[in-house]
This record gives sequence, structure tokens and C-alpha cells, in this order.
Amino acid sequence: MKIWLNTLLLLVFTVVSAPAANAASDNASCLTCHGAMQGTVEKEKGVLVNLHIDQAKFEKSVHGGFVACVDCHLTFGPNPHQAPSANVAKAVKDMANAISAKSKVDAVAQAACLNCHPDMYKEYASSIHGRNVIKKRSGDGPVCTSCHGSAHYIQPKTNRESMVNHFSVVSTCGNCHEEKSISEKYGFSPLVMERYLESFHGRKVKLGHPGAPVCSNCHGAHDVKGQKDAASPVAGANKKKTCGTAACHPGATDKFIAAITHKPLHPIAHYSEIALILLTLGVFIFIVVHVFLDIYADVRDRLFRKGNKHE
Amino acid sequence: MPMSAIACSERGINMNKHIPAEIERFDLSARIQHVIMFTTFLLLSFTGWGLKYAYADPSSAWITIWGGAKTAGIIHRTAGIIMLLDFLYHQFYLLNLWRKKDLRLTVVPMPKDVVDFFQNVAYYVGLSKKKANFGKFSYMQKFDYWAVYWGMFIIGTSGLFLAFPVMASYVFPTWSISWAWDVLFIMHSDEALLAIVFILFFHFYNEHLRSDVFPMNYMWLTGKMPIEELKHKHPAEYEYLYGDKGKK
Repeated sequence: MKIWLNTLLLLVFTVVSAPAANAASDNASCLTCHGAMQGTVEKEKGVLVNLHIDQAKFEKSVHGGFVACVDCHLTFGPNPHQAPSANVAKAVKDMANAISAKSKVDAVAQAACLNCHPDMYKEYASSIHGRNVIKKRSGDGPVCTSCHGSAHYIQPKTNRESMVNHFSVVSTCGNCHEEKSISEKYGFSPLVMERYLESFHGRKVKLGHPGAPVCSNCHGAHDVKGQKDAASPVAGANKKKTCGTAACHPGATDKFIAAITHKPLHPIAHYSEIALILLTLGVFIFIVVHVFLDIYADVRDRLFRKGNKHE
Repeated sequence: MPMSAIACSERGINMNKHIPAEIERFDLSARIQHVIMFTTFLLLSFTGWGLKYAYADPSSAWITIWGGAKTAGIIHRTAGIIMLLDFLYHQFYLLNLWRKKDLRLTVVPMPKDVVDFFQNVAYYVGLSKKKANFGKFSYMQKFDYWAVYWGMFIIGTSGLFLAFPVMASYVFPTWSISWAWDVLFIMHSDEALLAIVFILFFHFYNEHLRSDVFPMNYMWLTGKMPIEELKHKHPAEYEYLYGDKGKK
């Protein structure tokens, strides 16, 4: 009986504390080398693998302290000298195969996000991004780390350093959506970013307004849909609802939501702008010339026409 | 800018035997209207400038001084509404002067302003030794005054629409919505720049930097102009008020 109890206690102790101990020792042994290694190696043609892990930064990331290297780098066993094993769950393996066109460094590690974040992955798989990468096996379109950055250094969304923070997500989306090759291939306006940035929304975000919308506020994030997809929050009648939330523009009308389209400037607006710039320039030149003439006459009168100052 | 100096308390003076030492050109109401106008103008310029040039480096720091983007936006909208009310009040002020038969249309542009302009430029460049025979308000001052109307019409209305876009959307016809919003934004932002440039160069030069008024023309506080200055700067007005008595 006593032995039986001891065994149980030992079992509980092992189950509770061993993973942590294991993780720590695992990470420590990986980081012994990868903390010091610098530079990149070429895994295959054009695919560079960065060997360096910034240990301090990793430990401060959301994954630091409880995720072991081998939790994601599943093909690597505890012993680095052993050949990568194939002991990977089927779901992860399938996903890794599906995204291999996109994720060339370690597709299994990329797909391993699935293990802990299954809901996010499900949303992502249904999005226009996910479908392009997973179903169409395209090399375009983001995987998790494209937007969140390396899993080693992910910061919470509230941290300014996070790539998906309110104040940085626009430039993160811009990494691809500013690319002419991408906008041509997938048929959206090449001015999406430019027009957003010059809108009131973009300007306010730039100046630090916490309530001004960024890309994901209107288009969604993991579940982002294409503009022609009826499920998109900015497609058809959905747009009125998206713009018209209580915090933004309650009562938004059809005519109101036409204000933000990210489309190129309408010719009427374009020529109005030119006309107003010419007017501003014209008035500016007029007043500057007028002021300088006045200064000239004033100085002249004071120097040479002292007796004639006012008449 | 001189909001209005149309009140003419000097009407009775004409019959006086003595020419006064100074003359009131801006009554208290006009002076207060001017203070409200320039205070809100400065607030609007300071906060709006940061938004117009949001991507220029100092803008984020500048807006932080104004309490962040949200607060700066509230300041901007509040100041804008106060300015529009001030402008509206000015129209009632004019109506009241008209009702009291105190309204002289001295600030209305006249053909004589064109003559004055050419005479003034000729004097500037030395083609003529005679100064322009300005009335109560020179063409420059009229320009100053009407610039506010232009600003209120273009910047004020567009600003009001942009501040309440959902309500504004009921006003616009469907065929205009593909460009109306951008036009409103352009109107507001470009004409605001024009207004700032105008004030900064023209008004500041004429009322602050010019050698005879530096550091400022105190009329915005006192409302009064010494009669000698009136005689030299606005000879036609002096002539109108004092006629033969003025001639020595």
C-alpha cells in the first residue's frame, strides 16, 4: 500500500514538474549553441535560415519561459546529433505539407502553431490568406509568422513592438499590400495603402489616436475575406454595419460609407485639388510680392524721403 | 483680421467744432469678435496643421503637446464651432448696425479699390510720388476682411460636414458621393493652408511687422486710431468726416 502511494506521488510529481524541467533544460541546451551562433545558412537555394536566437528577447516574448524549442521544432529530438525524426502528429504534418510552398525554413514548426492555437488556425484557414496558402498552395499570402513575426519574439498585441499592435499593423499589412506585383496578381487597388494613409483614419492612427481604425478593424484579421466575398465585413450591406458601430459612425448611410473606398482619387476631386493649389499659390505669390514691395517702399521712404514720410 | 469697422460712431462728430484727437474704428463688440476669431483661428491652425502633415516628423510630438490625437481633435472641433458662431454673430452685428442706420458700406469692394491698387503699386515701385487716396479701409484691409468670408464658406462648411459626416451624408446627392468626400477634405485642408499663409505673411506683416506698427497695431485693443494717422493713412475717410475743416 505504501509503495503504491509512493508510486502515485512520484507519478504526480513527474507529470507536474517534469515538462517544465524538461523544457528548461531542452531550451538551455539548444540555446547553448543557438544563443551564440551568428549568421545564416542556406537550407536550399534561396532559403536562408537564421541560426541566432536572442535568448533575452525570447524569454521576454509571450512564448518565453514555457514553450520548449522542440514543442514547435517537432522534427528535432532532444539530441541534436540525431537525424530529425518524423514523429509528428498527422494534422500538423498535413498542414506543414500544405504550406510548404510558403514556409520553406521549417514548415513543421510553422504548422505547429496549430497545436496550441487551433481556433485561430481554423479562422485563418477559412480566410482569403489561408485559402491561398493552404488550398492553392501559393507562395504568396501570409502564414502566422508573416504578420506576427518570428515565434521566438512575439509580443502581446498591446505592446508597441508587436507587429500587429494598433500602431504597427498597418505597416505590417503594407508589407504585401503595398507591393505592385501582389495588387496586380490579386486584383485590388494598388493605392490601397496610399489612400488609407492619407485618409483621416490613417492620419489619426499615425498621430496616436487609439480609436481610429486600422486595416483589421474593418477587414478582420485571421478571418479576413476578399472584397468580392459576401462574408467580408466591408462587402455590400455589411459595410454599413461595419462603419456604423456605436463607437464609430452610428447611423452610417449608404452615401456615408462611400467616403472610404481606397480607390484612386476621382477626376473631379483631382482637378479640384489642382485648382485649389493654384489658387493658394497665386494668392501666396501675390501677397509675398505685395509685402516685399511695401518693405522696399518703406525703407526707401525712411532713407531718402524723410520729409515726405506720409504724403 | 479686422472683422468689421463698419460701426461709425463718428457720424455725430461731423457736426462738432473740434476734430477729435483720435477716432474709434472698432467698437467693443467688433474687438471681442476679433479676439474670438483669432483665438479659435490659432487653435484650429495649431491642431489642424499636425493632422495635415501627420507624416512629417515633428507632427506626432506636436500633437502630443496638444493632448494627443483625440484631444487635439476635440479642441479642433470645439474651436471650429465657436469660430462659426462668432462669424454668425458678426452677421447679426451687421444687421443690428443696419437697423440702427449705423451701417456704412465702407468695407465693400469698389471700383476705386482697383484704382487705389494701381496707384499704390506705382508708389511702391517709384512710378508715382503720390500715395493712394485710401478710404476708411484700404483694399488690403478689405482683402483681409473678405478673406474671412471665403474661409468661412470654404473651410467652415467643409469642416462642419467633415465633423458630422453621417449627417452630412443626407445632404449630398447620390451622384456626388464618389468624389464629394475627397473634395471636402481637399477644400478644408488646402484652403486652411491658404488662410494660414495669408495670415502669416499678409496680416502679420501689415499689423505686426511693418515699421510703423511694430510690434503690433494696438487698435485691436483700443479700437482707436489717432487722427493724424487717419489723415495720412486713410485720407479719403478723413476728407469725408471733416471736409474743409481738415484742410490746413
